[in-house]
Amino acid sequence: MSQHQFSTFKNTFGEFGGRYVAEVLRPPLDELEAAFIAAMSDPQYRADFDAICSEYIGRPTPLLHARNTSRELGGAQIYIKLEGLANTGAHKINNAVGQALLAKRMGKTRIIAETGAGQHGVATAAICAKLGLECCIYMGEVDIARQKPNVFCMELYGAEVRPVSSGSRTLKDAVNEALRDWASSFEHTHYLIGSALGPSPFPDMVREFQSIVGQETKAQLQAAGVTPDALVACVGGGSNSIGFFSPYLESDPPRLIGVEAGGRGMNTGEHAARMNGLGRTGIVQGYKSLFLLDDDGQVQATHSVSAGLDYPGIGPQLAHLGSIGRIEFTRATDTEALDALKLFARNEGVIFALESAHGGAAALKLAAELPPSATVAVNMSGRGDKDIFITAREIAPESWKRFLEQEVQTL
Amino acid sequence: MSTTAIMAHMIPYFPDRELSYAAAHGLIDSKVDYLEVQFPFSDPSADGPTIEDACGRALASGFSTARGFEFVHTLVDRGAPPVFIMTYAGIVYASGVKEFCDLARQSGAAGLIVPDLPYDYDEGLYEAGAAHGLAVVPVVAPSTTPERLTALLNCHPEYVYAALRVGITGAATDLGQDNLDFLDRVGAGGAKVMAGFGIRSRDQVRMLAEHVHAVVVGSAFVKAISAAAAAAGPDEPAAAAEAVYSAVETLVSALRPD
Repeated sequence: MSQHQFSTFKNTFGEFGGRYVAEVLRPPLDELEAAFIAAMSDPQYRADFDAICSEYIGRPTPLLHARNTSRELGGAQIYIKLEGLANTGAHKINNAVGQALLAKRMGKTRIIAETGAGQHGVATAAICAKLGLECCIYMGEVDIARQKPNVFCMELYGAEVRPVSSGSRTLKDAVNEALRDWASSFEHTHYLIGSALGPSPFPDMVREFQSIVGQETKAQLQAAGVTPDALVACVGGGSNSIGFFSPYLESDPPRLIGVEAGGRGMNTGEHAARMNGLGRTGIVQGYKSLFLLDDDGQVQATHSVSAGLDYPGIGPQLAHLGSIGRIEFTRATDTEALDALKLFARNEGVIFALESAHGGAAALKLAAELPPSATVAVNMSGRGDKDIFITAREIAPESWKRFLEQEVQTL
Repeated sequence: MSTTAIMAHMIPYFPDRELSYAAAHGLIDSKVDYLEVQFPFSDPSADGPTIEDACGRALASGFSTARGFEFVHTLVDRGAPPVFIMTYAGIVYASGVKEFCDLARQSGAAGLIVPDLPYDYDEGLYEAGAAHGLAVVPVVAPSTTPERLTALLNCHPEYVYAALRVGITGAATDLGQDNLDFLDRVGAGGAKVMAGFGIRSRDQVRMLAEHVHAVVVGSAFVKAISAAAAAAGPDEPAAAAEAVYSAVETLVSALRPD
C-alpha cells in the first residue's frame, strides 16, 4: 500500500516555527533539512518506508465504527482510528521509522530521543533494534516513575534509558537533555524528535511521517461511504493530531478539534492547555509557538494524568492553525479522560491510551450534540496497556494493591 | 606580557541575592575586564549541569527580569567593568526585544549575548541593539560553516563570542592548534574575539592570549561560588558573603597570566 504522499516544506507557520538555535546546532539542522528533502523524492527511500509500514508496523491500522457507543449516545456515528494497534502500541512508530531510515541514509550510527509517556521512546528503541542503530533515550525521572513498563521495554530492545533529573523532570527536561547531547554528538548522532515541534525542519518532518494516519483514515472513511463532519485528536506536542488532520487542512468541513489536557483544574500547574488564550507566544527549545509562561517568559509547571500531554508547548503549525481558526481547541480533564477510557473499553472492547482518551472524551461530548446522520472520527493514537499502573490505581485501587503486594511477595 | 582580558560569568540571585552581590563585588574589586551576567531561564538547553543547576537555584531565590536589570544597575554604579547580559531568546522575547534593549541600556549594560537569537532568526535584536548603543555579541562554534561565519561577520559585530568546542558549557576543553586556527578565522575581520567553554586554568588563558581579545570563564566561577557558599553554611550569611568574595578573587588571580 503505497499511497503515502509527502507535501511541501514550510519552516514557519504564520508567526510560529523557525529555527531559534545557537550556532552550534545550525549545521546538523541544515544538514537534516537537505537530507529530508532529498529523501522525499528518492523512490528507494519511499519504498523502504512503505515496506516497513506494512511488514513491521502493521499498516494500515483499522478504522472501527463504534456502533454500540454511537447507539447508546443517540448522536453522531463515532469512528475510531485504531492507531494504537500499530506495532509498539502508538502512532509514534510512524515517525520513528521515517526518521531512523533517514538517519541511516545520512550515515548516522547513533540515535537519541526524548520521551514523555514512553511511547516515542519505545518506538525509537524498537526501530533502532531492527535497523541496528545505537539508541539512547532521555526520560524525566517523574515519567520513569509513572511509566515503568515502557522503560522495561526500551531496555529490552537494547536502548539505554538515561534518567533526567533537571527542572521538572518530565518531557520538556528530556528535550533539553537531548539537545545538549546533540550539540556535541551530531557528527554521528541523529536526534529523533517525537513530536511535531522543536526547531525546523522537525515540525515539517514529523507531520509528513505522521500524515499516513490521516491519509489512511480519509481512504477508510471513503470506503465506508461516509463523509466526516469532525475529526478529533488529543494534543500534547501535537504529532498525532497534525498527522491525523493533515489531509483535511485545506478543506473545510470537516471541523478539526484538538483536545488538550485539562488536568485537575485551570490553575497554573494543574493543566497543560496552551490554546484559547492560556498560552503566550514565546521561544523555547528552538521554536516559536504558544507556551505556558509567566510574565518573564519562564516556563511554567504543567500537569496531566497522561505523561504524553504533560508538556508546556504546542507544535508551531497547530498554534498557527488554531490562531487562524482552522483547528478548534478544547480540553478534557483527567477524570473525563478516565471515564471515556472506561466507556470505550466496555462498549467497544478497545482500551485507549490515557493521552488518546482525552480525544475520546471530547468525541463523546461532540457526538452527543450531533444527529445520528453525522460522523465524528477520533484518533486512538495509542492503546492503554502501558497505563495499567495508573488506570488500575484510579479505577480499582484495592484489588490492584492486593495484586501488587502478591507480586512483591513472589519476587 | 600579555594583556588578555578576562570576562567573568556570574548569575544574579545564585546561590541567593546577597551572595550573588558578594560575588559581583569580588569580581569588580579584583578588576576583571568584563562581566557576563546571565539572566536565568527555566530551560537553558545550551548550558551544562553546573550552570543549569545554578539558574534553577537563582529562580528559586527570587530572580526576575526586573531584578536582573536592578542587579546590573547596582554593579555599574559600583564601578563595574563593561557588563554583558547573557540570556535565552525566551526571556528577551517575553519583554519584547526593543523593550529589553531599552531596559538593558538604562541599566548601564554594554551589550547582550543571546545565543538562540542567531542573526537570521534574531527577532530584530541586532537592529534594536544598535539603536540602543548595545553591542550584540554573536556566539559561534567550531562547527559554524565558513558561509555562516562570513555572513555573521558581515554584520560587523564589535565582539564575537567563540565557543571553543561544540557541545554545552562546563565540560573540559582540550586546546589544540584547531582551536587557535578557528579563533584566528573568527578574528580575521577585526572583531574582538571572546573565547570560552571549558576555560578554568592559567595555562589555557596563556595559550589563548595571542589569539583572542578576552577569555570567558563561566562554570569555574559558578563552581567556586557554590563551593564557598556551601562551606560557609546557611547560618552565617556574613561569613558566607566573605567566603564567596574571597573565592572569586582567588580564582581571578589564579587565571591571570603573570
